[in-house]
Amino acid sequence: MSRRAEKPEGTLEFPPGAADPPEWVSRRDFLTLLGAGAAMAAGACMRRPDKPILPYVEAPADVVPGMPLYYATAMPLDGYATGVLVRSITGRPTKIEGNPDHPASLGASGAFEQASLLELYDPHRAGAMRAGRRRTTWDAFVAAFAPAALSRRVGARGAGLRVLMPPTTSPLTVSLLGRLSEAYPDARTYFYAPLESPTRIAASRTSLGAALVPQYDFRAADVVVALDADILAAGPFHLRYAREWADRRRASPSAQLHVAEPTPSPTGTLAVRRLGATWSAIGAIATALLETVGRGARGTGRASGTADASGAALTPDARAWVTAVAADLAAHAGHSIVVCGERQPTDVHVLTNALNAALGNVGTTVWYTPPAVLGDGGPDHDLAALAAELRGGAVDTLVILEGNPCYTAPSDLELSRVVGAVHNTVYLGAYDDETARVSTWHLPAAHYLEAWGDARAYDGTTSAIQPLIAPLHGGRTADEVLAVLAGQPNNSAHDLLRDAWNRAHGGGAPTESDWSEALRRGVVAGSAFARATPAVRPDAVAQANAALAARVGARDQIEIGFVPSRAVHDGRFADNGWLQELPDPVTKLTWDNAALVAPAMAARLGVATNDVVTLRVGERALDTPVLIVPGHADGAIALAMGYGRQGGEAVARSVGVNVNALRTSQARHLAQSVAVSRTGRSHELAIAQPHWAIEGRGSSIVGEDGDGRPSTASSVQPRKRRPLTLYEPKPPSPDGFGADQWAMVIDLDVCTGCSACVVACQAENNIPVVGKDGVMKSREMHWLRIDRYIDGPPDDPRFETQPMLCQHCEKAPCEYVCPVNATVHSEDGLNEMVYNRCVGTRFCSNNCPYKVRRFNWFDYNGEIAETERMAKNPEVTIRARGVMEKCTFCVQRIRDAQMASRLAGDSTTGPVVTACQQSCPTQAIVFGSLTDPESEVSRQFGDPRSFSALDELGTVPRVRYLARRHEADGADDSAGRAR
Amino acid sequence: MTTIPIPRSDPDPNGSRAHAQLERYPIMRELPDEGTLTTQLLAPLWTSHPAWKWLFLASGALSLLFLFAIGVTFVRGIGAWGNNIPVAWAYAITDFVWWIGIGHAGTFISAFLLLLHQRWRASINRLAEAMTLFALVNASLFPILHLGRPWFFYWLVPYPATMGVWPNFKSSLPWDVAAISTYFTVSLLFWYLGLVPDLAAARDRAPGRTRRRVYGLFALGWHGSGTEWRHYRVAYTLLAGLATPLVVSVHSIVSLDFAIAQLPGWHSTIFPPYFVVGAIYSGFAMVLMLVLPVRHVFRLHNVITRRHLDHIALLLLVTGSLLAYSYLCEAFGAWYSGDLFERYTMLTARTRGPYAAFFWIMTAVNVLTPQLFWWTRLRTNVVVLFVVGVLIWVGMWLERFVIIVASLNRDFLPSSWHFYAPTWVDWSLLAGSVGLFSFLFLAFLRWVPFVPVSEVKREQREIAWESAYVDRDGAMPEVMR
Repeated sequence: MSRRAEKPEGTLEFPPGAADPPEWVSRRDFLTLLGAGAAMAAGACMRRPDKPILPYVEAPADVVPGMPLYYATAMPLDGYATGVLVRSITGRPTKIEGNPDHPASLGASGAFEQASLLELYDPHRAGAMRAGRRRTTWDAFVAAFAPAALSRRVGARGAGLRVLMPPTTSPLTVSLLGRLSEAYPDARTYFYAPLESPTRIAASRTSLGAALVPQYDFRAADVVVALDADILAAGPFHLRYAREWADRRRASPSAQLHVAEPTPSPTGTLAVRRLGATWSAIGAIATALLETVGRGARGTGRASGTADASGAALTPDARAWVTAVAADLAAHAGHSIVVCGERQPTDVHVLTNALNAALGNVGTTVWYTPPAVLGDGGPDHDLAALAAELRGGAVDTLVILEGNPCYTAPSDLELSRVVGAVHNTVYLGAYDDETARVSTWHLPAAHYLEAWGDARAYDGTTSAIQPLIAPLHGGRTADEVLAVLAGQPNNSAHDLLRDAWNRAHGGGAPTESDWSEALRRGVVAGSAFARATPAVRPDAVAQANAALAARVGARDQIEIGFVPSRAVHDGRFADNGWLQELPDPVTKLTWDNAALVAPAMAARLGVATNDVVTLRVGERALDTPVLIVPGHADGAIALAMGYGRQGGEAVARSVGVNVNALRTSQARHLAQSVAVSRTGRSHELAIAQPHWAIEGRGSSIVGEDGDGRPSTASSVQPRKRRPLTLYEPKPPSPDGFGADQWAMVIDLDVCTGCSACVVACQAENNIPVVGKDGVMKSREMHWLRIDRYIDGPPDDPRFETQPMLCQHCEKAPCEYVCPVNATVHSEDGLNEMVYNRCVGTRFCSNNCPYKVRRFNWFDYNGEIAETERMAKNPEVTIRARGVMEKCTFCVQRIRDAQMASRLAGDSTTGPVVTACQQSCPTQAIVFGSLTDPESEVSRQFGDPRSFSALDELGTVPRVRYLARRHEADGADDSAGRAR
Repeated sequence: MTTIPIPRSDPDPNGSRAHAQLERYPIMRELPDEGTLTTQLLAPLWTSHPAWKWLFLASGALSLLFLFAIGVTFVRGIGAWGNNIPVAWAYAITDFVWWIGIGHAGTFISAFLLLLHQRWRASINRLAEAMTLFALVNASLFPILHLGRPWFFYWLVPYPATMGVWPNFKSSLPWDVAAISTYFTVSLLFWYLGLVPDLAAARDRAPGRTRRRVYGLFALGWHGSGTEWRHYRVAYTLLAGLATPLVVSVHSIVSLDFAIAQLPGWHSTIFPPYFVVGAIYSGFAMVLMLVLPVRHVFRLHNVITRRHLDHIALLLLVTGSLLAYSYLCEAFGAWYSGDLFERYTMLTARTRGPYAAFFWIMTAVNVLTPQLFWWTRLRTNVVVLFVVGVLIWVGMWLERFVIIVASLNRDFLPSSWHFYAPTWVDWSLLAGSVGLFSFLFLAFLRWVPFVPVSEVKREQREIAWESAYVDRDGAMPEVMR
């Protein structure tokens, strides 16, 4: 400034600053540059959409910024729909909850439904259409596959066209497939899912005379027998079954569940009598059950002793189990259910049908409906036939609509090679996976939250699938592709659906309000299939018995069962970090699959957990680590599908081993004559809970009675000890925040450990994923975990399940040790965590007897992809590196409800539903205020079964558990297992 | 420089008469006149030992490793360590308690023994005080490194923040901050005050202008007048009075970091005395590790005599036995309580759990090795003393590790039990802190008068004065005792 003033007059002809040395930057220049720099920096950081966007001139009436909206839709899995409500905040789906109106949900949602949200935002989803190696467009695809172009390739009747897709229940898809076969009469469509089994339909054809599937009403059942069936935690209707069973158990504590299963499942862990039996032994057990029950019915009316003929094939344990269970079944004839696993052989299904018929259950607790899946069990569901056709070379164009068959197919079909040899393959898939890599065309598939469509539930109820968000990666649905093939390329999925809807309701002339009502409620009322109660053909039963008797062979053979992973299903969810890191409900294994074996078998083989073994079936071999699981059937090895992925999904890649290498199209679910040999190598498994024994602490932790025996209905003693204290307890202030005193009760009697709540909590509370290394270092971030104790004899252990979360202690040990007041108690009884005050001493965690506090060891949220950020719940703070976090009782939901009540002028807070409670299929979690004596939580707090974990420490938790009733009162202990 | 007659080694004590001989053994022996003594004790300031440079470089390199590990911790987060849930505290807190315990011997020698008129402290108190300071530097680093967000460490300090939020005074961690900062301040003042007359002597003897100026600057204009000495003695004794309770209080408070928690293995009322005893014990072990080489290298056998070694060994025996009693008490308390969790932690997990090997090494080392010092001959054997010093030094680290990690890794719910294993960062921080300590200590040996010249001379005069009063029967006048 001063320099410029000193300049001689003559230089003024130059612009100001021209004479300054170049490095000199004037104040004005500096500000100019600063402004320009800031503008450039801001411009460079802005992600401007490449299409013109318009601001809300008139905001949509139902969108209030920051306020959540819920939309009903349905998630299809293996074809079957589960109804969900999706929370959308300013156009962004952030949470999935169950739809109470939907028969498969009843308001609950499983881990898969919850985690499908993360799938939507998965940054590894395929983002571009591809033809050969070039990027292409939808229009190019439409041009290439329009009838004019396509018929030149595949012939006018479509002889060279094949479609492969997962089993479908969608009326829209069915109608489009119909149009496709009108356009190309010689084209064929095949359906394949790795977990599908034709045996149930085959059994109903032979024994019931029609293709039917069984339906159950567990609310009316006093005795449930599950034979290799994880009814409460797997299958299309498991949420409903779990809810019904829990309701029954709550209403009638003497209702009993008996399970015979090869590998422990959540259902098995809840059983009163549980038997570890190999897959192939289930048949003999079914035979013996039927025989014993039948003899009981003919004879004294009460079964006693096991039938000799089938009994010979059974182990002594199995014989005892059959005797006891048959007696129980006979005593509750007409009020019992026998369920057999979907993948059991046809004969076992026949016997199960016969059992239910013999017990008089058909018509009361069991009935039959047609299958919801198109052509279920039919010839179109045969992948081997398609592979043969492809090998024959007659197929010119193969259209694969989702499902990644090149990964999931049995290895003997060599599907990758065969598909790769087809001239023209189209793959509609969400990921650049194994199938995409051998296909000519790859079209990104839309997520169900991005798509219009429909699907049926297991009982036939139809739901519309409506999108919550426009496709993030330009994805398309299978229906849109089918429409292109059928010559209707200009129809959007929405129009196709409306069209199909109108046609389906052609007679009744559906109105606009019918359509919106169906969308709003998420179900089409009255669309469930009619019930059928056919009689069982005796000759089919006799044949099945004979076939099973002939099959009883050497018992010391080893067999491998290929089971769905409870984390990644058949591999569909393999790229989902939430599910990969979700500890298995039984084994607590994460980020891997392993050969699950019984302790006795491991001892015979000389292997320990983490040892890598080679499994040989014929000439096929697979190296896999071993995980020893107490209660596993001796002679059986369970291998979970869905791992060992080699596609482009970064999360899934090389996690675990691909068990499809051992599967053949003849032995898709069970491989026999397995040879096991040690390799000497080891592979460390990430087990979230490495210690399974309860160390004699059962009475303090899971509410066993004083003698350390499992509690029965009457032995559970009231636990109302209050700790001695020098101080008068301060009564909560009656107004303001103190008006509510929040508390939770978890009923261990109906908790299956299915872990839906864990994922629900993860989604609601923005909980990061830490990876396999993090789990091995015990750094999982789950605010809510499911503790699993396996104690007692290794061949017949006792399973205890306990969801463990912040107990919101009234005398919280974490609070007084925090040096900076970062964890404090709220007026309404919450143990609060003040993230931005936390300095991270971790003293609170050391002093927490429940070890439910979680520490941000790294900057877990700083490294995530842009799309994953969109999955975060804006109501919940993202925690920074170096701070402690833990369950808040979903404080954001509590405060929302309080604000709503105040705005409405209510003096009491409306109902608050925590994320875990909302998802729980069995409604084992109850939440509410203790100040309301009428509330469910107040009632259960005073239940004789209620207890506080580690009560003796005097922490006075606000979370109480209801002790599990391991054995019903008056159970016939002589036949049961002795403890 | 004049040759100084320095005894090369200790005269061999004669077999069974060793004890008798030791009794007669003086605190100082064969001392030259005061001028020569000053020259001898200040000589290391002017000449460097050939090995010093290499040791200094090596310890500097270790300190750099320390800095690097700190950098990794700050950039990546605590996740770079092996800590987990349940073991949220591990190496860093072990290191912290270990270093702060080591510091205690210095204060014990300089303050406690001063007030108790123990003359033998004079020769080694400066060394021990320096050890205290440098140990405290390490000790105060670890709790800050250990924070998830170390840049907010000052939130533990009670200051009138604009948000009106104070530290939680119910938590023992703000007590820690107060205790350690007080301790560090008093130790630093005490050490520096004691140094002033010696710095003046160094100034007066320094060859060359620069050194004279530097020592002169730090000597604060001391010129040794009678008034100065009188004020100096009063201030020194007062500071000793301040420091003495700190010997007991600091480690008591550190022990409360554990004792106020309800974790089995931590929740124990014996912790304060148990920790104080352990602290002094480990500190004297480290004093031995430092004094023996210094005495040997700088030929200080005339000022640090067998008498000193004997006394240190006796103190190890006493504190070691008290510690053994504490171990026993802890285990007995757990058994007597009948509490399932206490019993499991103290009796099962400790002895047979995943860290049982450490527990048994720690018990063997800390309980058995000091028992060697029932034998006089071993109390004065420099090799035995050095080896025992190192063993206890390690054993006490293991003790803290066992208390912290072996209690945390198996607490109430077996579902949360998990093994802890350190990472290279944990190891680097431990090794680096030893490096930093050595680095500072070597610098101290090189540039600071590490034997208190004025104190030694004062003791020498007092001894001479006393011996003049000793009558022919060898009895000291009543007033002298």
